[in-house]
Amino acid sequence: MSIKKIGPAALERWVDGLIGRQTVIGVQAKGDKFAFAPLAKTSALRLDYDVAVTAPKAFLQPPCETLLRFNPKGYESVVDEQPFVLFGVHPYDAAAILQMDVVFAEGQADIHYLKRRAQATLVVSDVQQPSANVFAGCMNTAVLEQGGDVMLTRIGDAYLVESRSDKGAALVKSLAGEPDAAPADLQLRKKTWDDNRKRLRRHELKVKPGDLPALLARSYDHPVWEEKSKRCFSCGSCNLVCPTCYCFNVRDDVRWDLQSGERVRTWDGCMLAEFALVAGGHNFRKKKPERYRHRYLRKGQYLFEQHRQIACVGCGRCIGACVTKIANPVEIYNRLAEGPR
Amino acid sequence: MDKPRVAIFDFACCEGCQLQIVNLEEELLDVLSLVQPVEWREAISDQSDTYDIAIVEGSITRPGDEEKLRQIRSRAKVLVALGACATMGGVNKLKNNFTMEDVRREVYGKDGSMPHLDTAPTKALDEVVKVDLKIHGCPINNKEFAYILRCLALGKTPAIPNYPVCVECKMRGNVCRYEYNEICLGPVTRAGCDAKCPSAGFWCFGCRGYVDDPNVQAAREVMEHYGKTMEDLKGRLLLFNSKQEATENVK
Amino acid sequence: MSQILTAEKDIYLPEPADVVRAEPMTKMEMFFEFKLSSGRPLGHMPGQFAEVAIPGIGEAPISISSSPTYRSGFQMVVRNVGNVSAAMHRLAPGKKVGIRGPFGTQFPVDGAMKGQDLLFVCGGIGLVPVRSAIDYVLHHRKDYGRVTILFGTKSPAERLFVEEAKQWAAQPDTTFLETVDRGDEHWKGSVGVITTLMPKVKVDPARTVAVICGPPIMYKFVILELDKMGIGKDRIFVSLERHMKCGVGKCGHCQINGLYVCQDGPVFRYTDVAEVREAI
Repeated sequence: MSIKKIGPAALERWVDGLIGRQTVIGVQAKGDKFAFAPLAKTSALRLDYDVAVTAPKAFLQPPCETLLRFNPKGYESVVDEQPFVLFGVHPYDAAAILQMDVVFAEGQADIHYLKRRAQATLVVSDVQQPSANVFAGCMNTAVLEQGGDVMLTRIGDAYLVESRSDKGAALVKSLAGEPDAAPADLQLRKKTWDDNRKRLRRHELKVKPGDLPALLARSYDHPVWEEKSKRCFSCGSCNLVCPTCYCFNVRDDVRWDLQSGERVRTWDGCMLAEFALVAGGHNFRKKKPERYRHRYLRKGQYLFEQHRQIACVGCGRCIGACVTKIANPVEIYNRLAEGPR
Repeated sequence: MDKPRVAIFDFACCEGCQLQIVNLEEELLDVLSLVQPVEWREAISDQSDTYDIAIVEGSITRPGDEEKLRQIRSRAKVLVALGACATMGGVNKLKNNFTMEDVRREVYGKDGSMPHLDTAPTKALDEVVKVDLKIHGCPINNKEFAYILRCLALGKTPAIPNYPVCVECKMRGNVCRYEYNEICLGPVTRAGCDAKCPSAGFWCFGCRGYVDDPNVQAAREVMEHYGKTMEDLKGRLLLFNSKQEATENVK
Repeated sequence: MSQILTAEKDIYLPEPADVVRAEPMTKMEMFFEFKLSSGRPLGHMPGQFAEVAIPGIGEAPISISSSPTYRSGFQMVVRNVGNVSAAMHRLAPGKKVGIRGPFGTQFPVDGAMKGQDLLFVCGGIGLVPVRSAIDYVLHHRKDYGRVTILFGTKSPAERLFVEEAKQWAAQPDTTFLETVDRGDEHWKGSVGVITTLMPKVKVDPARTVAVICGPPIMYKFVILELDKMGIGKDRIFVSLERHMKCGVGKCGHCQINGLYVCQDGPVFRYTDVAEVREAI
């Protein structure tokens, strides 16, 4: 389908129309930051945001979700099948979601994620304001050339709206009467993309992302792990804000009858002290440097070996979230690239 | 099966943690479906010397308290410390930063030396007797209290987090208080409160005490990075974590 | 364009199973026999594990101790170390549990072990999953050469499958040797860690496959001894423990560097993990 060009009034009519029909999770101001939350009116939408405090994965793999219910008769699955629109996702976060789609579908498919994901329509929006720590330009995720259901790019006061899937086409149906983007507009979009690839580099990675797996593989004994992790609080902030971290814990919550309740899945993180603890008390990753190294190797080497993607999209959230300032992946990668010392 | 008999006692404290149990409101009936309270000054008029579980709030601040606590311990199969005063001394331990003479004079003025105003350095319950379970916080999180009670009724060891408050803060989508240049104790404080204070726009006061292995050594760099001093940090830590080993290591 | 795959089966949904037997074995271990309520066999192979769920308590990975050749159900031995295992210790015949699995890799009873002499080296509850392979091998006795089973525990009271071990030892061409770290007044057998048994064993290294399962500390010492015996690294199989929380390669808890123990393990050929730094 053609790419439409819509002005602010048409955008508002369009999104207000969507809000009337289904849940729209849109990016909005939260104090002086931004967050995804249910959108009540288009005027609250802030497509000029820099970065959302929490990655939009939270709406696909919530911090806490019920997997099963149980009662004396047994267990039953709980799946969330409410359709919703995730509106204004930045390309790097969309790239992360596309990775999660692989993770939860490969091998033994996870219906809790996949059913929720199948109900989500992803409206991706090109970055207008780079955040303080973004380095998506270095990770080839500043622009999403394919994927997502709808792609929005701001051109002056207008937006170019590209539908990229059947779900996307259904979402933009009401824009059929709007003018098509002119070749000049598409040129401007290309320029925005080229600019964003250069602009979203608040930290400059000195190695190619494709070289990271090999670099990490030969850096197992690098002193940086010990050095940096001395300052680690094992607080898991870098894990929890990461759009490609998906590790989880599972626990049972029982009601007062002690017989019925829920099995819930919560976010977890490999940086937490007890992540690799087994019953009986042995902790297989007891020391901070071991956990700290594992996080980087998992992101850049192990998961790459698994599905040929680097599990870092350059959103820069970990850099900001780490109180003790040891979580800048670019700093680590560049340091490793300098060699063994 | 008979419901376990529960007695709730208090020492030096504001009794706010017991109030949190009362605040369970309609869920109190559910609590009663699992246990039989036999002594609980704040809620019932009965008293009893026969109980299975003793829930003890408050800290030990007078020599006479120790004897009473030992007696409770000897009667109870399970002793639960309820709230920061009981689990670690909490705010009461601020006193231990001064001499007892100064404390008496500060509080009672010239009457401070009167014999009935005896006071001793504050102790957490486990400095006097064996404590089987600690329910952290000032006040306790009554949802956690309810969860722990259900676990005990099921014969299950409750999962008390041994990770910092940051975990719950991130799950709630909060902006880190350090981004607002505030000293927050979240990175070294045991979670389980659902990050109530940061979620309401305050820094973490550390009321649930330290995680098992708090990295206070990292504090200096953090303070420097945010333009704060170790004195600033120590000031924050003293409120709930006075005379704790990790606090003493903040230099 | 991304394609989102969906599936109908919930990989986290346990299947009901009935407790057929629940008998104390030692102070810490209890023996269980379960049967899926549907009557269908579990379909496992030796070395695999299943997730056992107790409503309200949770779920834990437990290795399967019976051979698939035992058809009336499947057996487990559970040490009381956590919430789920403690709750299992309160089970009695007639009760129900939830089961997911079987998960993971198997001892290569139909592959690398077939036709070979076998050396099983087990420490403590490491014997539990290995028993599945021992029973399988002894059931198909002619398919294998000499069988040697070494078993070490901390004390005589912690020995497992004591009566069965006598039957194993009575099989043709089968040796069962055991040792305890510390004896007691009744113990007349060998005293010392498991590696002290190894020099007593004569094997033909070229036709021996070794299987190791025990506490984390045990592996590197046993492997050193196997090396002294001349058994090649590719002829050693290890069963490794981690927290296999989800069993389906998602939750991340069981990772050994890039390997998922729940999927790539728990049984590994030693050459596949010898260079994996977190493994042993």
